[in-house]
Amino acid sequence: MWTMRNRVVFSCVAVMVCISLVGCNVVRVSLNTTLTPDDVAFIAPGQTTLTDVVTRLGAPDSIGETDMGMVANYRFLDLQYSRVNFGWLAKPWTPVDPDLIFSRTGLGVDAFQVAFDPHGVVVHSSFQRHLSGPPFSPYPF
Amino acid sequence: MKARAGSLLFLLLVILFQGCAFSRGTLGDEINADAIAAIRKGETTKAEVINLLGAPDRLVQLNGRDVFQYYRYDAKAGSLLLIVLNFTRLSIKSDDLFIVLNQSGLVEDVISSKRTDGLKFRFWPFGE
Repeated sequence: MWTMRNRVVFSCVAVMVCISLVGCNVVRVSLNTTLTPDDVAFIAPGQTTLTDVVTRLGAPDSIGETDMGMVANYRFLDLQYSRVNFGWLAKPWTPVDPDLIFSRTGLGVDAFQVAFDPHGVVVHSSFQRHLSGPPFSPYPF
Repeated sequence: MKARAGSLLFLLLVILFQGCAFSRGTLGDEINADAIAAIRKGETTKAEVINLLGAPDRLVQLNGRDVFQYYRYDAKAGSLLLIVLNFTRLSIKSDDLFIVLNQSGLVEDVISSKRTDGLKFRFWPFGE
């Protein structure tokens, strides 16, 4: 049963949620599938071969030469952007178009690198950076 | 009757998808799966590879061997534009093909993957 108090509280919460979302933009850009340590846990140096790696992870984005063989790079990107324009709150009451914008961009670029010997056996593998996901927060400070 | 139902369906779809945006972009040509299947390790020559797939996008030297790289990128963006609250998600994936040629000019290895098959239009920017 909805009491008057509950209705008032619900209305206030709804209005606060709506206000907090006013002028909000959330954008995300992802390039290739982000690889996690779990995805590459099957790789064992000295045992896993190029065929095993390609079967599980697909073809790499680039292949390069090293003194001991070759290196394969799997690149991925995760960009997150959020923006809130508090100027929207004043729009109904002002003749001008006011802006008070908080925005934040998190650019997560990483790559997984696998080095192989001349026989195509993994020598070592590692992430270039160890990213923790950028936050979805528009607060820039 | 059919025309009327069709018009109503069209109107319903237009109303349902108000505020939605779909965009797509590609880089490079589709890598021909039949051409990849026609390549035989130890038999197909460099000239035949070029004849089947065209000139490579990149040519890499790998311990005295040539590696032909072919790639294609596909991007799909979905936007939900609700005037005061907007969501956009852009997903990009690539198809890559590497053909390793030995010093005799014969195909030694073929490494390929087609990631763009699973690429979908997505709107929700949170989570995976």
